[in-house]
Amino acid sequence: MLSAYFPILVLIVLATGFALGALTLSHVLGPKRPNPAKSEPYECGMRPIGSARQRIPVRFYLIAMLFILFDIEIVFLYPWAIVFDHLGLFGLVEMIVFIAILVVGYVYVWRKGALEWE
Amino acid sequence: MNHSFVPKAADMLVVGPETIVAAAAMLILLAELMPARISKAAAPWIAALGLLASFIPMTTTGISVRTGFSGMVVTDGFAVLMKAVLAVTGLLTIGFSTHYIKREDLDRAEYYALVLFAISGMMLMASSANLIMVFLSLEILSISLYVLSGFARTQPRSQEASLKYFLLGSFASAFLLYGIALVYGGAGTISLAGIANAIASEGAARNPVLLAGAGLIAVGLGFKVAAVPFQMWTPDVYEGAPSSVTAFMSVGAKAAGFAALARVFLTAFGDIKVDWMPALWAVAALTMIVGNVVAVAQTDIKRMLAYSSIAHAGYILVGLAAANQAGVSALVFYLAAYLFMNLGAWAVVILAGRRGEAGTEIDSYNGLFWRNPGAAAAMGVFMFALAGLPPTGGFMAKFYVFSAALQANMVGLVVIGALTSLVSVYYYARVTVVMFMRDPEPDAAPISTRGLLGVTLAVTAAATIYLGVLPGQLFQLAGLAQIARP
Amino acid sequence: MTGQGVAFAVLAAITIISALLVVTIKNIVRSALFLALSFVGVAGLYILLNAEFLAAVQVLIYVGAITVLMLFAIMLTQQIMSAKISQTTEWFWLALPMALAMLATLIFFFAMRTYPVNPAPDALAVGTTMPLAEALLKPYLLPFELASFILLAALVGAIVIAREEKPGATD
Repeated sequence: MLSAYFPILVLIVLATGFALGALTLSHVLGPKRPNPAKSEPYECGMRPIGSARQRIPVRFYLIAMLFILFDIEIVFLYPWAIVFDHLGLFGLVEMIVFIAILVVGYVYVWRKGALEWE
Repeated sequence: MNHSFVPKAADMLVVGPETIVAAAAMLILLAELMPARISKAAAPWIAALGLLASFIPMTTTGISVRTGFSGMVVTDGFAVLMKAVLAVTGLLTIGFSTHYIKREDLDRAEYYALVLFAISGMMLMASSANLIMVFLSLEILSISLYVLSGFARTQPRSQEASLKYFLLGSFASAFLLYGIALVYGGAGTISLAGIANAIASEGAARNPVLLAGAGLIAVGLGFKVAAVPFQMWTPDVYEGAPSSVTAFMSVGAKAAGFAALARVFLTAFGDIKVDWMPALWAVAALTMIVGNVVAVAQTDIKRMLAYSSIAHAGYILVGLAAANQAGVSALVFYLAAYLFMNLGAWAVVILAGRRGEAGTEIDSYNGLFWRNPGAAAAMGVFMFALAGLPPTGGFMAKFYVFSAALQANMVGLVVIGALTSLVSVYYYARVTVVMFMRDPEPDAAPISTRGLLGVTLAVTAAATIYLGVLPGQLFQLAGLAQIARP
Repeated sequence: MTGQGVAFAVLAAITIISALLVVTIKNIVRSALFLALSFVGVAGLYILLNAEFLAAVQVLIYVGAITVLMLFAIMLTQQIMSAKISQTTEWFWLALPMALAMLATLIFFFAMRTYPVNPAPDALAVGTTMPLAEALLKPYLLPFELASFILLAALVGAIVIAREEKPGATD
């Protein structure tokens, strides 16, 4: 069974090898003429204004947190989907209870305005 | 483990109390659909009704032993009594929280929802018959407590408390998980009954991996009950968290941790008692010593009560180290008595404090008697009870715990307990002296004990004295706290 | 040395070295990215243990969501991304011997026993996802439902802690 993963190993080795190889070759073979204008961060031709290290609004964190929680809920749906046909009504009720608990959470989050972006 | 997999009503009855409490928590969250005014006012009522309703399944199952959900949970006398202790803790917490959160501008419905989530996790810990259930219920209660510690999110001390609790708590959970993994490796199963069977059939060949796992589980759970040397988080978190949350944590998390420790060590690892009793002896002794000695130096009442709760964890550990039925009954009695005296003391701290967590130095208790004789008298009762002086519940609790230890021939531990109790009289009496014998500060604000806070104070003081004068009833009840052998 | 043995050695090396780098590197963003690499190593170890569902979930959740969350949390903090953060405190020289002692004790305990090797792990014809799913929904039903409570508590907690105060809101 584990030998089925051999193609994945080949893929990983080739992908990593290609990425590393391309970087190394361009580093070794390319001419080195650093220039202050070339070392600035690229912003589609405009000069960068200010530092890139500003605090992001906390909204991003909240969205990421909500994403994880609902992502884990989805992950629990996968194994249920596999055995769903043997379990019948009982399986459906189980999952409905699971999702209902998180729907309470969803309603709460919605009412609290955490889903508003602006 | 060949029970029917379709959950029947009998399974739900086993976890009835925690289901009702969790449902009440969800109801509070759903109440957010209504305008804020209504949901905020309704939340404490829903919480209180949920906690009262949780007594119904407890009285239905009584002390009968039932397992549910394919051996994941069990209810027996011990579980029901611990759940009752936790429900009462919850009710008293609501009693003093309403006033406190309004004063500190933390009045949100989520407070009650999180408290109820924590209580449902704590109740489930008392019922867990499988290590994965112990872990999951520990996580529910921990997450709720981490958030509650940081509830006063504009205050840096509260944020610090929450972060410290979270970091150290996650570390302890990692120890617990690693211990569970090692026990699984050693026993081949994670159900407590299965582990006990595996140990019994192994015979004399003690599996070192199993012992290592048991040790790590003890570390993870010991963190929760603030046993030394895992107690470093306690003073900072107790001081920084909002007072009502600290009060709740100090009783609830301890009760849950001790319930899990008792069940895991007396059921699963019961046969290898000779291996873990010495370690528990050492931890109990250290905890009593460190808690009491360091408390002497404290000038802030919240920190003093934090170290005092470490010390009390030590006394309860003595009951656990005795590892006999008397020890378990003593543990339950102690937790019930501790619940009243500790929550009462914290209620007075809330009463005497001012907005913004000011007024928590012991000096601010100067002359409390002249500002509010009722509160001072109640605090005097609680201080005497915590010190273990008769005729309070605290004295009877220590008496029972020490007799259980003597039954197990742990004379040394009892001597250490008695000596450290003597030391504790100093710092408890200091508060009493300050309240009764000093004059109040000239700018001291008046304190009123009207309303729910006053009722809570009265109830806890009365219960503390009752347990000291007539401990028989509760003691008989505690004797029914048998941990079911698998 | 079988193919499995080599694969285990490589994955274990990736996981442990990345984990060591996480706790020693002074730049916090690189530290988080090495954590992601150690998660990938663990996913590989799950595949070696025939738990392919867990490997997929590990990559999906840990690398996909949790690393992202950590990076957002880092970006939320002022001036931390360019700071050189020392990862050791004054207790390092006490903590290191104690950690090594614990490691030595555990290794000693493990070495005291011999462990029977399952003779034909490669012959697992069916995946383990189906038995895992059955176990999750039948004997382990209660932990499954409990997981949703933990998620709910975490949800409420996230909102309580991170919710933005809208100006003029009375909630």
